[in-house]
Amino acid sequence: GLNPRVCLFLRLCHISQSPAFDAQLVSANGLVNEEVKRTVDLSTHLAKITAEIVLSNQGHSAVQSFILAVEEDLTPHLAYIGASVKGDEEEDGTLELQQTTIPGQSGHFYKVQLPSSLAAGAQLKAKVEMTFSHVLRPFPTHVTQAERQLVVFQGNHYLYSPYPTRSQTTRVRLASKTVESYTKLGNPSKNDEIIEYGPFRDVAPFSEDTMKIHYENNTPFLTISSITRTIEVSHWGNIAVEETIDLRHTGAVLKGPFSRYDYQRQSDSGISSVKSFKTILPASAQDVYYRDEIGNISTSHLQVLDDSVEVEVRPRFPLFGGWKTHYIIGYNLPSYEYLYTLGDQYALKMRLVDHVYDDQVIDFLTVKIILPEGARNIHVDTPYKIDRMPNQLHYTYLDTFGRPVLVATKNNLVEHHIQDVVVHYNFNKILMLQEPLLVVGAFYILFFTVIIYVRLDFAITKDPAAEVRMKVASITEQVLTLVNKRLGLYRHMDEVVNRYKQSRDTGALNSGRKTLEADHRALTNEISSLQARLKAEGSDLADKVSDVQKLDGQVKELVCRSCQEAERLVAGKVKKEAYIESEKTLTGKRQELVSRIDSLLDAL
Amino acid sequence: MKSSPNKGVLLQYWLSGALGGWGGTSDGKHKASTNAGGSVHGNSRPGAAGGGGGKVGLSGGLTQPAGWQSLLSFSILFLACLAGFSSRLFAVIRFESIIHEFDPWFNYRSTHHLTTNGFYEFLNWFDERAWYPLGRIVGGTVYPGLMVTAGLIHYVLNLLHITVHIRDVCVFLAPVFSGLTAISTFLLTRELWNQGAGLLAACFIAIVPGYISRSVAGSFDNEGIAIFALQFTYYLWVKSVKTGSVFWTIGCCLSYFYMVSAWGGYVFIINLIPLHVFVLLLMQRYSRRVYIAYSTFYIVGLVLSMQIPFVGFQPIRTSEHMAAAGVFALLQAYAFLQYLKDRLTRQEFQTLFFLGVSLAAGMVFLTVIYLTYTGLYVRLLTCYAKIHIPIIASVSEHQPTTWVSFFFDLHILVCTFPAGLWFCIKNINDERVFVALYAISAVYFAGVMVRLMLTLTPVVCMLSAVAFSSVFEHYMGDDTKREKPPEKAEEGLGPNIKSIVTMLMLMLLMMFAVHCTWVTSNAYSSPSVVLASYNHDGTRNILDDFREAYYWLRQNTDEHARVMSWWDYGYQIAGMANRTTLVDNNTWNNSHIALVGKAMSSNESAAYQIMRSLDVDYVLIIFGGVIGYSGDDINKFLWMVRIAEGEHPKDIRESDYFTPQGEFRVDKAGSPTLLNCLMYKMSYYRFGEMQVRRGALTPPGFDRTRNAEIGNKDIKFKHLEEAFTSEHWLVRIYKVKKLDNREPLDHKLRSVVPKQKYTSKKVPLMLGGEFALQVWRDSFRFS
Repeated sequence: GLNPRVCLFLRLCHISQSPAFDAQLVSANGLVNEEVKRTVDLSTHLAKITAEIVLSNQGHSAVQSFILAVEEDLTPHLAYIGASVKGDEEEDGTLELQQTTIPGQSGHFYKVQLPSSLAAGAQLKAKVEMTFSHVLRPFPTHVTQAERQLVVFQGNHYLYSPYPTRSQTTRVRLASKTVESYTKLGNPSKNDEIIEYGPFRDVAPFSEDTMKIHYENNTPFLTISSITRTIEVSHWGNIAVEETIDLRHTGAVLKGPFSRYDYQRQSDSGISSVKSFKTILPASAQDVYYRDEIGNISTSHLQVLDDSVEVEVRPRFPLFGGWKTHYIIGYNLPSYEYLYTLGDQYALKMRLVDHVYDDQVIDFLTVKIILPEGARNIHVDTPYKIDRMPNQLHYTYLDTFGRPVLVATKNNLVEHHIQDVVVHYNFNKILMLQEPLLVVGAFYILFFTVIIYVRLDFAITKDPAAEVRMKVASITEQVLTLVNKRLGLYRHMDEVVNRYKQSRDTGALNSGRKTLEADHRALTNEISSLQARLKAEGSDLADKVSDVQKLDGQVKELVCRSCQEAERLVAGKVKKEAYIESEKTLTGKRQELVSRIDSLLDAL
Repeated sequence: MKSSPNKGVLLQYWLSGALGGWGGTSDGKHKASTNAGGSVHGNSRPGAAGGGGGKVGLSGGLTQPAGWQSLLSFSILFLACLAGFSSRLFAVIRFESIIHEFDPWFNYRSTHHLTTNGFYEFLNWFDERAWYPLGRIVGGTVYPGLMVTAGLIHYVLNLLHITVHIRDVCVFLAPVFSGLTAISTFLLTRELWNQGAGLLAACFIAIVPGYISRSVAGSFDNEGIAIFALQFTYYLWVKSVKTGSVFWTIGCCLSYFYMVSAWGGYVFIINLIPLHVFVLLLMQRYSRRVYIAYSTFYIVGLVLSMQIPFVGFQPIRTSEHMAAAGVFALLQAYAFLQYLKDRLTRQEFQTLFFLGVSLAAGMVFLTVIYLTYTGLYVRLLTCYAKIHIPIIASVSEHQPTTWVSFFFDLHILVCTFPAGLWFCIKNINDERVFVALYAISAVYFAGVMVRLMLTLTPVVCMLSAVAFSSVFEHYMGDDTKREKPPEKAEEGLGPNIKSIVTMLMLMLLMMFAVHCTWVTSNAYSSPSVVLASYNHDGTRNILDDFREAYYWLRQNTDEHARVMSWWDYGYQIAGMANRTTLVDNNTWNNSHIALVGKAMSSNESAAYQIMRSLDVDYVLIIFGGVIGYSGDDINKFLWMVRIAEGEHPKDIRESDYFTPQGEFRVDKAGSPTLLNCLMYKMSYYRFGEMQVRRGALTPPGFDRTRNAEIGNKDIKFKHLEEAFTSEHWLVRIYKVKKLDNREPLDHKLRSVVPKQKYTSKKVPLMLGGEFALQVWRDSFRFS
């Protein structure tokens, strides 16, 4: 039963939360168990007791509730109790249970609220289910590898009830045919794995008669002594689940040597030991891992089925009686299957505890639900009562103020407790930006620091040579730009001259010449001042710059001459052919000079 | 780039593209740098080359060649780191993120202790779970650098809320540090030769198997970080010698301090650097730079190294540090003489004086160095005990290196590095003297012991890089550029020869890369904790017996149970099973190990006496007979016998375990002593009944490792019982039974003799045992 019916559960092992005084109800309301069919299922390491009760109201007034009782001896082991009404049309009407006490009587009592009142003289069929853990005691407590495991169950032949019982049968289902001994009340019949007691007639209220059965039971007596289930919700689409499990074989303890030879050769050697078991994970589980403190447990297998993922969990070594192991199993789930949202409101619906193995017993459960950073107004709906611990904070990747962690614990759980918990919370979606921004910010700071470091000089000592070099470099850089600009002026002048040749506008030419003169002077002055600075720094580049200046003077002259030539052409003082000729030589000279300047610049 | 010597940080070189200089492969500038201390990367005109050629402003960094070159070298270095990191991940990908082998388990356990209990608790840690009943002062007997590094990384990551488990930090520490090693090798080679050679060296060291063997992911051992520290110290030392700046020397000292804290191999540094200085003196290359560098290094380095508890006063006491002290004195004397030389006028007398003194000092130094180097190779690895030959010799990695393993670990580099050495010697300068000495001494050590191949690997990479770089420079030079300054020497090289040589070299490098990957994948990427076998169809079987058994011990034995095993498994038992061990891989106490060896090689009742006196609860052995695992205890058994014989020659004799023909056999012909000793019985208990599946032809009890049917199939135990055997029988654990109330007597009681007499006889026997234990304990305490 992985998907048990939704029942209601009661906290056990505690004196009732609402100690109502119900003795009156028992004596007065006149309820009678007309017919009781009890089934005691001892085929696993659990004791599952179900009772189908035909309850009749022989009093004078209608009753709203009836009472279930659990024997004093068994109460510490009660893991689950649930009741349902077998209606005609509705198969499973589950009922609400509330713990109560009856003065003068030992045991635990639960008041079952009926869906509709039971009129006087009317009958109803109720079904009661109880599961007890750790009630099957291995006897002998220590066995060798070759021996089989025998256990003793001690219970009650009768239904423990505050009401008189008219007729009752008890059917006990065992794990095997081999029975050492069993109590023989009312001459029970035994047929293979089944012992039938009764029918017993007219049993008084609160009747107890010890039923003791000593039989062979080699089913795995596995107990999860503690499990920590961590559910980490990320709004980036993932829910990570991790279970840390302490597992123990609580059957008869292995006595003497463990022989691998016998274990490998004989199939019934170590018959009560546990080699592996199956854990069923949700169908969307991905990236399943199974490991412990010293690494992967390589002996497991994973099988993806249509509606689930099955992990064959094989501990590193077979678990014999008294041996224990510890492991971690974890997986990822897509959050869209479990996380519901409406605006800023979120609801997480997940199993509080999940399947580990069939007929599991969990002695102690801790659930931790890690919500995203910034979740507020957290509200938890649990299917049954659990102990909430104070919330914690969890810090992981890119967290600043911590993720809220809900912590809850519970004792003694069985498969019936595999139910959904709903966590409601509010989360401002803007906070989703926090993590990317943090990353961006971190990289920004990193790069910025590098830029600052590289660009600025943090040396506490001065290296004059290096400084001079840097200065010279920057000056040469400026010189280069200026020289290039100056060469650009000449090209501009060429354009002016060309235009003049077409338009014959002497004014434009003159103004062009004037600007050239002015700009040229300014640039040359600047370069000379830079040259002076270079000289001051003691660099030999100053000579090269002065060479450049000299060459530039010649270039300038050539430019002026070509300008004059153009004027003369326009004025008709020279022939066109002669002009072209002279222009050619001028250009040639100029090009030579410019290339010399270039080579000088290259050498800078 | 020498513009600001105080900022020798890589990033500057990488990112200051616009200003950066470059002495790249095609520059051929190394010829200009043969002057001592001169710039190797001879580009002293920052910015000018870019500005002149391209006519662009400072802003357009990438349009300048220097910018491209910076980016290129940055990318190459980054890729080298990445390749180095990822080629070390074979084991993680094939298996899982797990600590490998033996020593790493101790380191991991210590690191775990450090992270859970804090630094001071770690320094003061007395481990009562090792060397029972002696215990071990861990804080004072480890080089803590590794643990502190991993712990610090873990601490910082957790401070940033990066919740990484300490195990993952430990597993990936060595690959990360291999990246740093690549960078420091780059820096060192660049100082020695040029940037191109540096990049090649970085690529070599990133993937060379000789280094990978010690630094795969999961190999959480001292060597993983020590090689980085070694290279970085050498880089800083070369830098200090070149600049003569106290700043660099202090950096060198700090790096040396880190190395001392990380690995016992630091004595290599503290001998090589003095040797370098000494040789520089001999070569008349004394300079103020050398004086400043060495004086500072020796004093600060000495003081710093003494801060490590494990090292303590060794640097001023033991012989392997004396060379450094001698050279220090010599250098002072030499400097003093130099000083006098400037003042004195009587040149003749002064020269004589100088000669006399330096000769005397040289003789002293040579004797010291002789003493040191003969003992050094063992000192490099044993920790703090006397050296006992059988125990050292029993470790496979202490065997002399074969030629094959040189080729296996270094491939083509081992052939090319002499060429690099020759190039260096041909263009000698101060730092090339250093690398030459480094190469020669490392070759010597690597020849002595397989393990020291590790110290040879970096220098081989560097010198091979120099060789390759020179060849490429010569044959791949840019023709158009070289046309202008006509070098007639290259006239003979036609384009065909050039391309053929280049192709050949590239082929060699490609084969090198293939070989490295192959070796890494096949030889050095097995965790050894997990074994894998492959079926015919290629599917893999994982044999996880070690962890199965260790985890069984961890979960299902008493928390304080004492487990006796051969020392190989001590660290693993402590790390994985978390149980007390008698001996472990820190083989400091030979007599204790011999006692365990004696127990293993005695018969059951004698062994029981020893085990009782040592409070042994469980005995763990490794048995490979079922699956054919050759590294099991029976194959190591003779070493146990030898070590036991060394301490207990009266009780154990190696010859007893051989057949009269001198063979070591486990079958019927084997010696009876062997067939009845504890190790044999524990290994083969109930194995005689087992039919190992290997065809029906093999008889039951057929040992697949030794290919023999065992000689003693009827094995019964009196004082032991089988507690656990792993799935493939690889690990077998026996429980030592407690004494019965009364030992059953061998013979019938005579009714006339009162019982008390027997009990009174037994009491002294018991007392004797207790007394022996007490004496034995005391003997350790006071020895």
